[in-house]
Amino acid sequence: MRTALIGGIGNVLLGDDGVGPFVLRMIESQYCFGEDIELVDLGTPSLDLTHQIVGLRALILVDSVASDDPPGTVVLYRKEDILRIIPTEQLDPHSPALSECLMTAEMLGASPEHVLLVGIVGAQYEPGQGLSPEVRESVAKAIAEIVQELQRLGYFCQAKRFPDAPGIWWGETRGPDRDRKRKAVSNPR
Amino acid sequence: MAKRITIDPITRIEGHLRIDVEVDNNAVSNAWASCTMWRGIEKILRGRDPRDAWLFTQRFCGVCTTVHAMASVRSVEDALKLEIPLNAQFIRNLILIAHALHDHIVHFYQLSALDWVDVMQIPKADPAATSKLAESLSSWTRNSRNELKAAQDRVNAVASSGQLGIFTNGYWGHPAMRLSPEVNLLAFSHYVQALEYQRKALQVVGILGSKTPHIQNLTVGGVANAIDLDSQSALGMDKLEMIRTLLAEVVQFVQQVYFVDVCAVAAMYPDWFKIGSGVKNYLAVPDLPLDSRGSAYDLPGGYIRGGDLAGVKGFKTASDAAFRQGVSEDVMHAYYQGDKALHPWAGETEPAFTGWDGDQKYSWVKAPRFNGEPMQVGPLAQVLVGYSQGHALTRKYTDLAIDKFAAIGGVRATPAALHSTLGRHAARAIRACMLAELAQKHLQLLVDNIAKGDYTVHNQPVLPSHEVQGVGTHEAPRGTLSHWIVIKDEKIKNYQAVVPSTWNASPRDRAGAHGPYEASLLHTPLARPEEPLEVLRTVHSFDPCMACACHAFDPSGRKIGVAKIL
Repeated sequence: MRTALIGGIGNVLLGDDGVGPFVLRMIESQYCFGEDIELVDLGTPSLDLTHQIVGLRALILVDSVASDDPPGTVVLYRKEDILRIIPTEQLDPHSPALSECLMTAEMLGASPEHVLLVGIVGAQYEPGQGLSPEVRESVAKAIAEIVQELQRLGYFCQAKRFPDAPGIWWGETRGPDRDRKRKAVSNPR
Repeated sequence: MAKRITIDPITRIEGHLRIDVEVDNNAVSNAWASCTMWRGIEKILRGRDPRDAWLFTQRFCGVCTTVHAMASVRSVEDALKLEIPLNAQFIRNLILIAHALHDHIVHFYQLSALDWVDVMQIPKADPAATSKLAESLSSWTRNSRNELKAAQDRVNAVASSGQLGIFTNGYWGHPAMRLSPEVNLLAFSHYVQALEYQRKALQVVGILGSKTPHIQNLTVGGVANAIDLDSQSALGMDKLEMIRTLLAEVVQFVQQVYFVDVCAVAAMYPDWFKIGSGVKNYLAVPDLPLDSRGSAYDLPGGYIRGGDLAGVKGFKTASDAAFRQGVSEDVMHAYYQGDKALHPWAGETEPAFTGWDGDQKYSWVKAPRFNGEPMQVGPLAQVLVGYSQGHALTRKYTDLAIDKFAAIGGVRATPAALHSTLGRHAARAIRACMLAELAQKHLQLLVDNIAKGDYTVHNQPVLPSHEVQGVGTHEAPRGTLSHWIVIKDEKIKNYQAVVPSTWNASPRDRAGAHGPYEASLLHTPLARPEEPLEVLRTVHSFDPCMACACHAFDPSGRKIGVAKIL
């Protein structure tokens, strides 16, 4: 039964906003996990996130963050940091975000005991796939943080001896040369 | 002197709806709807293989991934004149219905009910009296005193903690809130239950689409589900039975809870049948095809002009010539280059950001027009288009709703009263009941077709080298969605998505005609302009979604400009 969720959040078509799903595909290709851990590319959820997180023991999310730190900085947030955010007026369903979903889970008495948000400061969010170089650089650090959290909580998580090709179908690098991008997908190393 | 109020919530880096209204003598005298982010995602698709487009388009929006995937494969199939096997049609229909049921439930309870329900009145409610009231309204079995008491305890816990958490931003105690503590408690108890039932609907999407969010089973020409009645890994009896069970629960919730609650809220706020009409031109496309060629549908389409229900014109197919020829997009007041209203196949998406100026350009949303006029899309459009054409299923639930308004609150309404804020909520609940019935029908159609020995799920597409164009439509939860594709040399030459919220959140056009959100807000009375709850009620009734989906998390929780008075 799943008790932990690793979720990648972000829009893979909007530059560094895609770092969450990117990290998720990378860690999926490099590690094996116990059956109690589920890995999900969550895209850009709204309240749908609530039902993904209720009843979990551990929630680990990766998302791009807006911050004054330089692009590529990895910043960690815990449950209390996220719950401190005051919900704003909701005009459209994109507005309820992580903090609202967590608050709903709290109200239902089913909020995850351990929450870690691995945030990566983005450089650009223009339409187009692929990460900025400094954000791409920080992916390994984000993965290390996730692995460390899983080990701290006693979950099974082990590096694969022969990693799979990551399923990054939307393209890894920026730039107009699409053929190069496609090649990068089928032959990542 | 008119006051200007801007509702501009900022929680993401960019990309959300902003509403500006001018208020004179406590009523809205002018309104602007704008989206604050560039929707240039379509450009990514140029030069790609059209068979891959759906994977990208389902990332347009994080809330409606499925609908953009579906419209995309349909656009390519329309361009290639490709027939779709029956099994694939029914599987797709089931996914679309289940997604819509999830979406409508979430919209009413999680995204708009608290505009009408005052959570802070709940501690005063008597759970036993609430349960008795509930029994008089519905046969739903989960309205017991104990269940209601548990819901009340949740609110008490939040209220007494001093931190309102998820309820921080409500307009509690606002003079426009009028429900009794008991009705507030009942609705809130269903708010909690709704989280459970919307999830069951999504599970159906997940079983058929292999995962959610982002279904994986589509392909141009059909679906990729393998059908094998005896296999647990393929689509077989196990999974079909699981779907039947889940749907039965969702159907019950929709018909016994959601529909009844909407009718009850409507009966208790009857003045809102007179507020929020705006643009009375309506547009809907036929959907839920019943054969492989797409010549018969379970949901009718067509258009209405100026609220003239008798003058309704029907669409025969989902890519009817009248629809194909009638759509254009105007950028006079949108941040794009160009000065002509263009057909989507010739559409351009070249940005020209100039900053918000209500007299000039003020939105990233283009202004789509049908035969040159703004159109309202969404469940209300679909219900009115169906009702006025005598569509039996639409009539059944619309008439039932009208009877309920009268039975609960003595409110005498006609279909014409649906041109309103409440009408949009009522129409969504009516549509949900229709879809609930159709969910079970299409599951049976699928099972019956498989039982005949037909296991076909896919027809192979062949891409021609000459230029072809197509439109893929879907009557999505928020209304008419259309993806327009031009294919040349087996690659995408042009791609434009005209999404429901583009129709509804449209800015003014060159003739100065307001978009539906804008027009619906005019003359809305505001009890307290500094707390514009009434504006939110009307905007929320459209189920707005800006389809831009940039979700970068802002840890500072910067809360900027909510109801800022200038």
